[in-house]
Amino acid sequence: MSDNQKTVGGVPTTGHVWDDDLGDLVNQPPKWWMFGLTASALWVVVYWVMYPSVPIAIGGFHFEGIGLPGSGKWSAIKEMETDAAEVDAVRKKFEDKIKTATPAAILADKELSEYVSRSGKVLFGDNCAACHGTNGVGVDDAKEGLMAPILNDDDWLYGGEVDKIYETVSGGRQGVMTAHKDTLSPQQIDDVSKYVIALSEGKGDDASVAAGKAVFASSDCTGCHGADAKGMQAMGSANLTDKIWRFSSSLEGVKRTITYGVNSGDPQGRNAVMPSFTAAGKLSDAEIKKLAVYVYKFGGGKASAAPAADAAAK
Amino acid sequence: MEATQATPVKYDMDVVRWFTIMAVVYFVVGTLIGVYVASELAWPFLNFDTAEITFGRLRPLHTNAVIFAFGGCTLMATGYYMAQRTGNTGLWSNKLAWFTFWGWNLIIVLAVITLPLGITQSKEYAELEWPIDILIAVVWLAFGLNHIMTVAIRKTSHIYVSNWFTMGMIIMITYLHVVNSMAIPVDLTHSFSIYSGVQDAMIQWWWGHNAVGFYLTGGFLGIMYYFVPKQAGRPVFSYRLSVLHFWTLTFGYVWLGAHHLQYTALPDWTGSLGAAISLAMIIPSWGGAMNGMMTLSGAWDRLRTDYVLRFLVVSLAFYAMSTFEGPVMSIKTVNALSHYTDWTVGHVHSGALGWVAMVSTGALYHMVTKLWNTKMYSEKLINVHFWLATLGAVTYIVAMWVSGIMQGLMWREYDEYGTLTYTFVESVSAMHPYYAMRAIGGAMYNLGAWIMLYNVIMTVRQAGAARVNAVAANA
Amino acid sequence: MADKIYSTKLQDATERSTLLMFVLSAVAVAVGGIVEIVPLFYLPNTGMGNGTKHPDVVWHPQAGQTLDDWKVGDGVRPYKPLELAGRSVYIREGCYTCHSQMIRPFRDEKDRYGHYSIAEESMYDHPFQWGSKRTGPDLARLGGKYSDEWHRRHLEYPRSVVPESVMPNFVFLSKNKVDANRTVESMKVMTKMPFNPVPKEIYTDAYIAGAAAQLEGKTEMDAVIAYLQSLGNHVKFQEGVNYRD
Ligand code: HEC
Ligand code: HEC
Ligand code: HEC
Ligand code: HEM
Ligand code: HEM
Ligand SMILES: [Ca+2]
Ligand SMILES: [Ca+2]
Ligand SMILES: [Cu+2]
Repeated sequence: MSDNQKTVGGVPTTGHVWDDDLGDLVNQPPKWWMFGLTASALWVVVYWVMYPSVPIAIGGFHFEGIGLPGSGKWSAIKEMETDAAEVDAVRKKFEDKIKTATPAAILADKELSEYVSRSGKVLFGDNCAACHGTNGVGVDDAKEGLMAPILNDDDWLYGGEVDKIYETVSGGRQGVMTAHKDTLSPQQIDDVSKYVIALSEGKGDDASVAAGKAVFASSDCTGCHGADAKGMQAMGSANLTDKIWRFSSSLEGVKRTITYGVNSGDPQGRNAVMPSFTAAGKLSDAEIKKLAVYVYKFGGGKASAAPAADAAAK
Repeated sequence: MEATQATPVKYDMDVVRWFTIMAVVYFVVGTLIGVYVASELAWPFLNFDTAEITFGRLRPLHTNAVIFAFGGCTLMATGYYMAQRTGNTGLWSNKLAWFTFWGWNLIIVLAVITLPLGITQSKEYAELEWPIDILIAVVWLAFGLNHIMTVAIRKTSHIYVSNWFTMGMIIMITYLHVVNSMAIPVDLTHSFSIYSGVQDAMIQWWWGHNAVGFYLTGGFLGIMYYFVPKQAGRPVFSYRLSVLHFWTLTFGYVWLGAHHLQYTALPDWTGSLGAAISLAMIIPSWGGAMNGMMTLSGAWDRLRTDYVLRFLVVSLAFYAMSTFEGPVMSIKTVNALSHYTDWTVGHVHSGALGWVAMVSTGALYHMVTKLWNTKMYSEKLINVHFWLATLGAVTYIVAMWVSGIMQGLMWREYDEYGTLTYTFVESVSAMHPYYAMRAIGGAMYNLGAWIMLYNVIMTVRQAGAARVNAVAANA
Repeated sequence: MADKIYSTKLQDATERSTLLMFVLSAVAVAVGGIVEIVPLFYLPNTGMGNGTKHPDVVWHPQAGQTLDDWKVGDGVRPYKPLELAGRSVYIREGCYTCHSQMIRPFRDEKDRYGHYSIAEESMYDHPFQWGSKRTGPDLARLGGKYSDEWHRRHLEYPRSVVPESVMPNFVFLSKNKVDANRTVESMKVMTKMPFNPVPKEIYTDAYIAGAAAQLEGKTEMDAVIAYLQSLGNHVKFQEGVNYRD
């Protein structure tokens, strides 16, 4: 009834009343809003025509849309290819050389090696630092020992020549040390452990560790670590005469290594797996070369294999 | 010939009172868990090596607590309240309403138990396992039936606009929940979705977006359309605007889900369908925001004294902002940056803290005074709550915008050699200050909720023994 | 006067009739979903059995082959028992709340994570694990990136290997044994799926029967690591081939 129809600020309501005082005014929506609504509808149509948006496929092919002014037909993949082309253009002059060059040659080439120092950072940070620590300082854990060898020192299990490093990263490494819990008595293990610790402290000839010295010489240790206990890079056996410990320098730690071995299959043994980044298809050959050079340039790199590189490295 | 209050109507409001109280309680709980998960990201030791409280298990509890416990109780309280009052009728079935109250709270209790135990389907906002899903369907349908029938038996000739939105929400959420929850059980606490890969992703985000679009937006627009005019004491600004933006939103929002999956393995055409309409949703959304704002215009002077009105105004401002931000984030090039980052989380909370929670707060304060017909225990505390909520929300959102955009830029930054500049972990450590800032903003917001709870309890107590007994009797 | 209509006859009728309002709304909200979802069940490049343009990306066992004969790069395959158990742990712990498994076709994601993900790669994922947030890095191509030993240490105490990490310690996973029965039941369920079920010739009755043995004595840590090591190395991608459209 008309008596329900109030006017507020000169505008009448529709005459509908709810809950005593609720109603709605007959105001028109603002012009800009009505305009916007129409524009939105048009926008949708235009967008759908430009971009692929038809949920129909004929013979497996979607209607791709007529494309955008300028860049033409759009697809997420095409967009990526254009963007990738941009950075590839910047990298090309370096990457082309790297494809063919040996790690050593890359190291020798000042420009390339500078490029690698830069492009190696994220490669190493996203792929390697998790095990070797930021900049190769190592990831040490009180309970579990070093996750992986420190890479910024000059002590190498498998060799610090840039090609050796390349070999390691591309092929991966899994040094094996047999368990000795069956071949040696707890006493012998205790002795030999004290001996190798003494060795690293340069007290290898002390009488106190003579027993251990004997065990070392008599058992299979020398087979892998050599009579001089300096280790054999061919099999990645650690050098026991230096101060750098791959796993742990504590008597307990050393005893564990010797008793249960490394990658020996023994459940209590130490695990030391350097993944093969080639087999896993994680990194391209070029990327692995870069990393080899990058790691080399942490400072621990052994020049011998790449004399020319010496200058570049410093 | 609209019915008027000439003949007093018997409303069934006890169930509404209890939904209202529980909404406030869950508001405190849900935001408290939010603060905790926020703190876990800033200070990971807070996970305490305890499975039940690790981030991965608590995060879904947070989302479920705020959306379904807090949001749900608010929607049901206001839904029943508005349907009765705008129809000049009691509930179609008071018994059924009580069933929905106990049913819904049972669901919430089950969620609080199962989620920390890691019992989850892993679909965002649909994590709860299949037996609870079934319970949700039953209770939701009971609520829907009761609401729609109450609208049907109304004494007024026309259906009030609030109820259009609530009904739209009830229908859409039913579709979404039923389709998205389809799973084959392994046992009572474990099941696998019948969909996989691309199809599962699209169905999940069809649900995910519309849980937002119809539940967190449509439902709360219904609330806005009742409580804004009520609190302002003025009619809705434009009837035609209501009609137009209701139908455009209702038809359009459904298409947006695909904007959660742009550049994924979902075909390009699906993403485009969603992206186009996402942008087209700015105007319909702003239609609602403006209809509310213009309704208030003329009552501006009341803002100085009426704190409840302040919550409503600010909520509309945040609504307008997040419904502009969202469409912008749907643009392919913007989404390429924002997706996977804290920007999304910032957007979520400008909608959640700024819009959903603020409009609810206003509505709840209003209802408390009406349901217990008394004044709020302390107007001052409402004002304190208002400032804590506003500043807390702004702090949270700003922190996430900065960190989100920074994160997105760090991930894609190339140096002059054409190689990536930052490692992922560098981006992680760069987040820390913003995670801390977010936790602080959240704590402020949560403190506001505690103050509201206190204020409401004191109001109910002062409302007098008679009422309290009546409530207890109905419990 | 009060009955003057300020919109349209239909709108006014709708506002007067609960039923009409109900029906029109029910129709209006149905359209979008149908248009966007239904075609995904039959169009190409959606990982549904029919119509993929690259059939070679999915592994089909030769007669007599079992999952154990599958080699990296042979194509998308269902999960082995231990991996499936690990996947359930991954879901239970909410790893997806921080980790995505969906590499987008961007140059930076290619450089950081590898080849973009394709639909087929998650065709056996009930439910999908694409994620929506990268608090941690994407895991779609994690398989083979690290050693099991590293994963164990990292999952137990992430900050012991990555100091900056905000990932929770999942040390408790090493204490729990996997639930063999549930995993076996899960395998059976996977073969019953209405969409993209695991083919019976892969999850043969014999293979399912042998599953329990493979899970003997394994911890949830072993399981989740096995799952992580299986991620993203199924397909051998050719250079310059467009696997999406
Ligand atoms: C899952 C852990 C892990 C990851 C990831 C890893 N490494 Fe290793 N790395 C190791 C382990 C363990 C060893 C020692 C192997 C052994 O003891 O036999 C090792 C050894 C090496 C060595 C030989 C050190 C020596 O003393 O001879 C180099 C060089 C190396 N890694 C470089 C890299 C680079 C570069 C990357 C990234 C592309 C990388 N590593 C990623 C674990 C890892
Ligand atoms: C089968 C070959 C092999 C034999 C036999 C062997 N080792 Fe080893 N050992 C290795 C390798 C390889 C490593 C390095 C493990 C790695 O880093 O991957 C190693 C590492 C060690 C280490 C740890 C060094 C460090 O820096 O932490 C000690 C100590 C050691 N060996 C002592 C011994 C002693 C004592 C014996 C004899 C009882 C012995 N090894 C026998 C191969 C062997
Ligand atoms: C609170 C967030 C969070 C949760 C939950 C979480 N993670 Fe992480 N995750 C991270 C962050 C941050 C990193 C990056 C730093 C690091 O490597 O720890 C990460 C890194 C990882 C990585 C190394 C990825 C790489 O390529 O370096 C793996 C693997 C991983 N998480 C697995 C898991 C699993 C499995 C779960 C569940 C059991 C899980 N995460 C739960 C945050 C989380
Ligand atoms: C004190 C207030 C709050 C705090 C501190 C808070 C904190 C958080 C945090 C830390 C996350 C996880 C973000 C991430 O994974 O990085 C989150 C997610 C979420 N929160 Fe809140 N929250 C609060 C209030 C709310 C409210 C009131 C709502 C809804 C009404 C809400 C809805 C959500 C949603 C939907 C998500 C998931 C976002 C996504 O998956 O992208 N939150 N919240
Ligand atoms: C027209 C309005 C809106 C549009 C077009 C829109 C669009 C978007 C977009 C593009 C994303 C990011 C998706 C991604 O990249 O992962 C998003 C996320 C989200 N939005 Fe909105 N938004 C709108 C309004 C709102 C409102 C009002 C809320 C209220 C709470 C909201 C809640 C969310 C939530 C919870 C997410 C996180 C989803 C997830 O878990 O990833 N949105 N929205
Ligand atoms: Ca569910
Ligand atoms: Ca999310
Ligand atoms: Cu959305």
